[in-house]
Amino acid sequence: MTRNLVALAAAALTLALAGIAAASPSATPGVSSSTITIGSSGPLTGEAAAAAGVLKGADGYFKYVNARGGVNGRKIDFKFLDDGYDPSRTVNNVRQLIQQDNVFALFGVVGTNGNLAIRDFANAVGVPTVFSASGATTFGREYKKYPWTIGYLPPYSVEGQLYAKHILATNGKKAKIAVLYQADDYGKDVLAGFRKGLGAKRSLIVQTVGYDPTASDVQSQVAQLKASGANTFAIFAFGKFAIQAFVYANKLGWKPQIYVNDVASASSIMQLDPQSTAEGTISILWGKDPATPKFKKDAGTALAATIVKKYIPGGNPSDGFLIAGMAEAFSMVDALKASGKNLTRKGLMNAVTHMNEANNPFLVPGVKVHTTPTFRFPIASVQLQRWHSRHWEPFGGVQSAKP
Amino acid sequence: MKAKPIAFGLGVAVLVVLPFVLNDFRTVQLATVGAYFIAILGLDILTGHSGQISLCHGAFMAVGGYTTAILMANHNVRDLWTIPIAAGVAGGIGLLAGVPALRLSGLYLALATFGIAVVLPTILKKFEHFTGGSTGITLFGKPTQTGHGVGVWRLTNNQWLYVLTWSIGVVLFLLAWWLLGARFGRSLRAVRDSELAAAASGVNRALYKVLAFGVSAAFAGVAGALFAINVAYVSPDTFPIQLSLYLLVGAVVGFFGSIWGAVFGALLIQFLPDIVGVFPHVDTKQAGPTTFFFGLVLVVLMLVLPLLLRLASRISNRGYLGAP
Repeated sequence: MTRNLVALAAAALTLALAGIAAASPSATPGVSSSTITIGSSGPLTGEAAAAAGVLKGADGYFKYVNARGGVNGRKIDFKFLDDGYDPSRTVNNVRQLIQQDNVFALFGVVGTNGNLAIRDFANAVGVPTVFSASGATTFGREYKKYPWTIGYLPPYSVEGQLYAKHILATNGKKAKIAVLYQADDYGKDVLAGFRKGLGAKRSLIVQTVGYDPTASDVQSQVAQLKASGANTFAIFAFGKFAIQAFVYANKLGWKPQIYVNDVASASSIMQLDPQSTAEGTISILWGKDPATPKFKKDAGTALAATIVKKYIPGGNPSDGFLIAGMAEAFSMVDALKASGKNLTRKGLMNAVTHMNEANNPFLVPGVKVHTTPTFRFPIASVQLQRWHSRHWEPFGGVQSAKP
Repeated sequence: MKAKPIAFGLGVAVLVVLPFVLNDFRTVQLATVGAYFIAILGLDILTGHSGQISLCHGAFMAVGGYTTAILMANHNVRDLWTIPIAAGVAGGIGLLAGVPALRLSGLYLALATFGIAVVLPTILKKFEHFTGGSTGITLFGKPTQTGHGVGVWRLTNNQWLYVLTWSIGVVLFLLAWWLLGARFGRSLRAVRDSELAAAASGVNRALYKVLAFGVSAAFAGVAGALFAINVAYVSPDTFPIQLSLYLLVGAVVGFFGSIWGAVFGALLIQFLPDIVGVFPHVDTKQAGPTTFFFGLVLVVLMLVLPLLLRLASRISNRGYLGAP
């Protein structure tokens, strides 16, 4: 009988420890005279952990800004939680950030599925969800239904179209295309754009195979695609799956012209691929890649390297995800500045939908952050790049990526 | 002998007081704890009392959760009415799972149920038009949500979810208490301790083994339904294999399958990852420090708990695997 009482006492104690009183609400949640609290969620652990660089890079940039006086006299307190790329954990994290930590806004939440899962909730409670690290077209398009949400990355659908156009322009007659895509909203978004870009030449696609984002391996998918006799291989995959696609193509002795989507094109990842297969691969870029010779002596990448060294312990200076995060944070700081001293959530949404930023040092020259209340694709211009002897080489001019 | 009613009364009192002292977010976290609590109750009936190991209670939760989500999102069924339906569907599948379990025991049964837990997320992704694939189903703001996500009876949404989950949790606890004290529970324990002796005493062992699976899965189904209502979102990743493992761990940590320890197990599942999350990072990109320390704490608990319980049982002079 003592046992039951002890159990209950222990349970009650644990509950008591778990309870931390909520901060008293002020006029605008998350804003005090000296701080702005901003929250985020992303895969700090698990299969997609490489993308954590976005949050770490942003965190580094905010710390850099704080060391220089912050924004309009307020320091940014950036709080990001781990969701392991599991959308239900993203939901829980966002609940905690809004209901317990009283964040002013959500910023840079990573992943298409996670952002889809939190969108209804964040909009119902009216918390700005800005510059989400996803390029799903829906985040820019459905602003009437979800006025508090805006993405950041170039729209996936347009990215798919750009690869299609490049294929038509360079090998429109003989291309036989095999596509590997992630079977969720992100992968299907890229694929739909790719099909649209091919237009009447859609029959050039000889095989498409999807894989499940929680699968362990894409070996059988790659074998199936190779067996289709394709000479062009579009990899619309993320993280380790993209690396596996290169590795298995190499193992099978398949030498197609490869196109790899932006989210798997970081140099730090590409360098892990078998180089004989990766050579000549085509992708897009919008943020500066420190490993690209053209940007080696660039002021923006130099600043990024300083920030990594000073504020991101253990960060790899050539990690493109870090730079992407800094680019997003730069735009965020711009928007916060434009929102003025009297910071409100409405004011922030007004600022992020009136962006006109041409001086973001982390973006490729010519790529501007431009939004209006009815055009919510912050990065809507990109450049093509080709992988050559262990680094990317941009080619062609900056082109529009407007959906 | 009055200790149990007193303990129960105290527990209910704590449950009533908690939402007043905790903030909104902790309240909804405890609602999730309530869902785990119910699933562990189910597992206590199956593993603790009928002696059958299940590594697929996460999958039964998924069945309940998806039943609720699909009914709410696509068939305009109000969330409250989906709970009994979820119990029925999960219970039915539990009965089916119980049939092969008749021929399997110990490790083999563990492996077979593990198989169910492995296969289920894949099945959920396969029938995409039905289950939303890997994107899952969002329930937030659906008109079938009671209170549309803002709450009822002057409660906030999170308080409402807490009240809903724990009211059902307390009722199911009483149900489990009664079931295990009655003929059903005695028969289960008889079958667990010696199938031969049970059969000789006229206990239909096949019937009780299958029934245990069904009842237990129905509990998990309710837990899954409440989980879906609480989080307002389901995806195949919501119910991974780890969940099934954690539930079993929760049942074991909660006094080796006694329903009185279920609260402790449920709290462990919810809060241990957070608590160990404060430890410093020790490894790199994969698995993560949380997983490492979570494992470490569990190993330590497994070593220390039996000692503590033996001590407690020596004090109260009763065996800890005794009465429910």
